[in-house]
Amino acid sequence: MSLDSLFKPRSIAVYGASATDSRKLGNTLLKNAAGGTGDVLAVHPEAETIDGIPAVAKLNRRIDLALISVPDKRVEAAVIDAAAAGAGTAIVLSSGFGETGPEGRKVQDRLVAIARSSGMRLVGPNCMGVVSHLGDDRWLNGSYFWSIPNKPGGLSFVSQSGAFGGMFFGHLRASGLGLSRFLSVGNSADVGITDALEWLGDDPQTTAIGMFVEGFGDGRRFVDVARKVTSKKPVVVLKAGKMAAGAKAAASHTGSMAGSHAAIRAGLRRAGVIEAADTESFFDAMDGAAVGLRKKLVRNIAIVTISGGPSVLAADASERAGLLLPALGAATLERLRGLVPSFAALGNPIDLTPQCPIDHYVPAIEAIYADPAVEGVVAINCGLDLKPFGTGVARGVAATGKPTAAFVLDAPGVEAEMAGAGVLRFASPERAVNALASGV
Amino acid sequence: MKTLSEWESKRRLPDLPYPQEALAVSRDKAQEFVAALGKPMVAKASGVAHKTEGGLVRFGVSAQTVGPIWDELAAAGDGTVLLAEQVSAELELIVGGYRDPSFGPLVTVGIGGIAAEIFGDVVALLAPPEPGELAAAVKQLSGHKLLQGIRGGPPVDIGALARIVDSVAGLLVDDPMVAEVDCNPVMVCKGKPLVVDALVVLADDAGA
Repeated sequence: MSLDSLFKPRSIAVYGASATDSRKLGNTLLKNAAGGTGDVLAVHPEAETIDGIPAVAKLNRRIDLALISVPDKRVEAAVIDAAAAGAGTAIVLSSGFGETGPEGRKVQDRLVAIARSSGMRLVGPNCMGVVSHLGDDRWLNGSYFWSIPNKPGGLSFVSQSGAFGGMFFGHLRASGLGLSRFLSVGNSADVGITDALEWLGDDPQTTAIGMFVEGFGDGRRFVDVARKVTSKKPVVVLKAGKMAAGAKAAASHTGSMAGSHAAIRAGLRRAGVIEAADTESFFDAMDGAAVGLRKKLVRNIAIVTISGGPSVLAADASERAGLLLPALGAATLERLRGLVPSFAALGNPIDLTPQCPIDHYVPAIEAIYADPAVEGVVAINCGLDLKPFGTGVARGVAATGKPTAAFVLDAPGVEAEMAGAGVLRFASPERAVNALASGV
Repeated sequence: MKTLSEWESKRRLPDLPYPQEALAVSRDKAQEFVAALGKPMVAKASGVAHKTEGGLVRFGVSAQTVGPIWDELAAAGDGTVLLAEQVSAELELIVGGYRDPSFGPLVTVGIGGIAAEIFGDVVALLAPPEPGELAAAVKQLSGHKLLQGIRGGPPVDIGALARIVDSVAGLLVDDPMVAEVDCNPVMVCKGKPLVVDALVVLADDAGA
């Protein structure tokens, strides 16, 4: 069933805002929801308005999305109310269900049964909610996050952990990338990561997908869905609990020989999903996917620099990652010799040196981009704010579209030029290389 | 869980390339088989786990020596002795299969021998593997260069290896009672893989 009512709701009802204490989480949720969608109402037994928003005792009309943030004992009544009114999707943000043990699990199963009997989808319980760019400057914030970055973009993110959702938003704020959709699935009682992935795969606004996963549930269904999605857009996964999965697999000799994580790797390999080893490489690979570093898989890269040592680290990282550093073509070399000092290193890494005449950086870097042996570029500049270095990279990207990752330190002019061309900067030379290499 | 004997396990996987072998049910049959083949043989106790560790595998068995060996190994095992042609290999591989609670049946391929237990150089594939997946997965082994031919020797016949992997996958996919398969070692002789030992583990009825 479609998740349009979840990601693109035209009307929202919020359960759990307090009529007397606007500091409650439910009031944050109400305020967040009211910020982007005109048609919002609160459901409350007594109040007629809450924080200036109209309230009703029982939902009296069809709405797309119900946000439920009442104490656990009252969740079932709220789900019944939303289902009876014909809500498209209910998100239960409240906790105290399957995650607490068999008793909570029973109630959770009832919530799912209620939702299914009326054709309503259920997200959660025990989750942080949804964030979605609705077009222009309109946003849905159906979450507890009181401040979300509001720059639109193609990146969507699905999380089985609410707290990692917070890390995602922190990273998004720092990277400056734009967001399409965010969903925290919590206990995944009904809507799971695979359902969300399937919808995002068909979502024209989403161009890249990141996922934080603790368990895949039906792994084969995930593989079938994910391989369809990855044929259209990149999917990057961070799997937590790799070691716990191993404890179960260790019951089998061949399973334990293959390592704790072998089944997941096998599944993700077939699905064409990029798997990151840790938080850092996950965000690097996800950012790379978001800016189109993965539009085309590259193997032959050029490292362009005026900073010797860091570019050698980048060369080491390239070899480790399976990337090749080809020699430049004869025509390119001839062109470069006419532009750069005689002592410049024209192997690969290509060190143009800080002594290169300032107006020669742009044509030199353009020539490297134009070389047919070069499929992608890692640009490295430490502390020499020679703006034309950045201009050259920006023009090379504009002219060739070759995927580029950069490491720039203390060079704001260079950084601004690159940012203007959509070139992503990473926190170290190695991380720039790895982002370009992820999936090779 | 129930582990089938080597002989029974191999009957569950009838299409694999095995050395010439026979289950000798008597001392006379053993002598007959070894004499007929006229080559050095391996004798293995049947129906016993950890045969090598238990000293229940004998090499270089001939028609002259097989008698007392049969007596001893038959007594240590289920009353029969498995006799197999002794093969020498340039490389040992392992092929296996198991079930993951989330991803279902998987097959594994790895570098065998003693080093395997230390390095765990094994890669898993969803069963059944799709065309090309085995060749791609094998490249992810740290020791993948060993499969490309050692010291000018022939490379491992990946097509033949794929047929072994496909048979193991087929058994897991077709029979939900099969919990686990271990072909260890798969000896590679002049590029051709030969399954020297195989074990099939069945799930308990109740747990199936």
